[in-house]
Amino acid sequence: MTDFIQLFINGLAIGGVYALAAIGFVIVYSATGVVNFAAGQFVMFGTFAGVAMLLNAELPWPVGYGAALLAMALFGALFFAVLYLPLRKSPVVTIIIGTVAIGITMQNAALLAFGSWPFRLPSPVEGVNLTIAGATISAHAIAVVVVTAVMVALLWLLFFRTSLGIGMRAVAQDIQAARLMGLKVNRLLALSWVLAALLAGIAGLMLGPMWFADTSMGDPIALKAFAATIIGGFGSLPGAIVGGLFVGLSEVLGASYVSSAYKDLISFGIMIVFLLVRPQGVFGERVQDRG
Amino acid sequence: MRMTRQEFLKALLAAAAMPWAAAARAQQGSPIVVGATVPMTGPLSLTGKQYHNSLMMAEEDINKAGGINGRNLKIMFEDTQASNSTAVNAFVKLAQETKPALFFLSSYSTQNLAVAPELKKVQVPAFYAGGADAVAESGNEWMFRVRPADSVSAEGMVQCALNVLKAKKPGILYIQNDFGQGGAQTAAKRFEAAGVTVAGMEAYGQNDKDFSAQLLGLRGKGVDVILIFNYPQDGALVLRQAKLLGLKMPLVTSSAALVPAALQLLSPADLDGVWGVVDTFIDPAVGGRMQDFVERYKTKFGTDPDPYGLAYYDGAMLAAEGLRKAGTDPKALRDWLAAVKDWRGIGHVYSYDAKGNGVFDLAVVKSKTGTKSLELVQAIKLN
Repeated sequence: MTDFIQLFINGLAIGGVYALAAIGFVIVYSATGVVNFAAGQFVMFGTFAGVAMLLNAELPWPVGYGAALLAMALFGALFFAVLYLPLRKSPVVTIIIGTVAIGITMQNAALLAFGSWPFRLPSPVEGVNLTIAGATISAHAIAVVVVTAVMVALLWLLFFRTSLGIGMRAVAQDIQAARLMGLKVNRLLALSWVLAALLAGIAGLMLGPMWFADTSMGDPIALKAFAATIIGGFGSLPGAIVGGLFVGLSEVLGASYVSSAYKDLISFGIMIVFLLVRPQGVFGERVQDRG
Repeated sequence: MRMTRQEFLKALLAAAAMPWAAAARAQQGSPIVVGATVPMTGPLSLTGKQYHNSLMMAEEDINKAGGINGRNLKIMFEDTQASNSTAVNAFVKLAQETKPALFFLSSYSTQNLAVAPELKKVQVPAFYAGGADAVAESGNEWMFRVRPADSVSAEGMVQCALNVLKAKKPGILYIQNDFGQGGAQTAAKRFEAAGVTVAGMEAYGQNDKDFSAQLLGLRGKGVDVILIFNYPQDGALVLRQAKLLGLKMPLVTSSAALVPAALQLLSPADLDGVWGVVDTFIDPAVGGRMQDFVERYKTKFGTDPDPYGLAYYDGAMLAAEGLRKAGTDPKALRDWLAAVKDWRGIGHVYSYDAKGNGVFDLAVVKSKTGTKSLELVQAIKLN
């Protein structure tokens, strides 16, 4: 039982990171129809923003985290202005290929700026372990679960209780109708990219102390976030959350109780089963063209 | 002035020989090229930069000491990144464009195995540092290993577990590739031969970042020591996560987790209860050539040298001696290297066997309490 508790909380923590990356994925997809293949590199940038602010600039925790997230928000806006805006009238596939190209550029830019040696990004609760029912749990893992829950709650408030969020949902549902209703569509689209970058930044800052910060960390996250989105339902926010947590838990529990050698096969195997049997995912609606 | 027939023939001979003499003079003055294909970018560059640095330092030292019989040594580098295909392309490029007298290959067994068939075609001696026994077992007579084979390291780790830590129920965690699988299987056989049953074996992928399932799985099986076959970055992450999960049993790690590049990712607390079986215990306090190498390396590159880098430096010095004595003819140089016995490098004593294995000594180390500086626990010499 002790092992199960440890594994479960670790799985939730990793799943929380996947969920945040997947939510960023879904927000951009819902608003713009673009599958952002640079999503994993967004998370990697988030971790390195933390490295730059906390390790290189040696800023104190709250200031360093705030500065890292501000940098990520600006990066999201830049991504919108440099990639999406000029290509918005091109076929979606052109923009998708653009995200692939930018993803590769981001990875190489990080390699040039920070080098190939990984960094150890510390946690504000570094070295603090808690004992729950005999299981040793790192305070950071619990903090990740709590932060993920808080972010999900804040997103719900944003999307369902603020005019800004309702506007974003309107743009996601029907961009022409939203424009006709007088909504500032470009501003709301830009906000989607900023929000995705911010969520990736939070995921990256939380992931840094769990893994090490290295420039090749983005690809596995993108794959897992993609699997989470497929399982939860492409375009569904609750789906991204449930999918992310499911992938994290299946990875950790599957490795422990089924086979550590085939742990990735478990998550991706389930994703393939969903693609075959229920392509709309757990929460997704039947696939149809955007309005 | 009339020229006699004899004078005419002499002049003709001299004219005919001139281009050859010029070519010989040019060759006499041109540097001897050695090729080095090492990972200089990507995740494997964590150790690859050490080989690059050490080989550059060796080139400088060899040339300062008069070069190779008056000719300079020039090491041409190509990046293998973390990819077997890139390693093969890098090798072929150097072989075709610069025709080196000798090669240095990377320390990653999978890359060594990928390049081996090409090396056999080129027929030039090569030093490599991948540990997998499969590389030597493939019977490529042109390959010479500059560090211990994985079976030697595994034997050392088993000796550490049995003799130093008195293990009764060991567990093994290994990276899932030629190096990890080979090392884990050898260790399991050695434990079995010693009458000790391995309580559990767990594997992880090269790109994995979470090892909680494997570590807790081994703890659940009641292991009293865990042997870990790892690369630098994943090795450091395993040690860190073991502490986060509250594992109390001793951990015996292979060499890579305790190289300086990996140590900079760890805290002193992460190293508590960790033993390492390393290729060489780099201790400047022993003085002599070791102290000189460590101090100059630190001054030149601003970081501590690691045992792999030192092995490449030794390899370069051994290559220089071979080139001086046997020349650049590949067959003669290969035969000279194959006959090397008790050659004293800084890190090891090199004696090559029929399979191109030349290093059979290791060191068991542990960090001093509350610090990240390592101290020697035991030197191991295997036959």
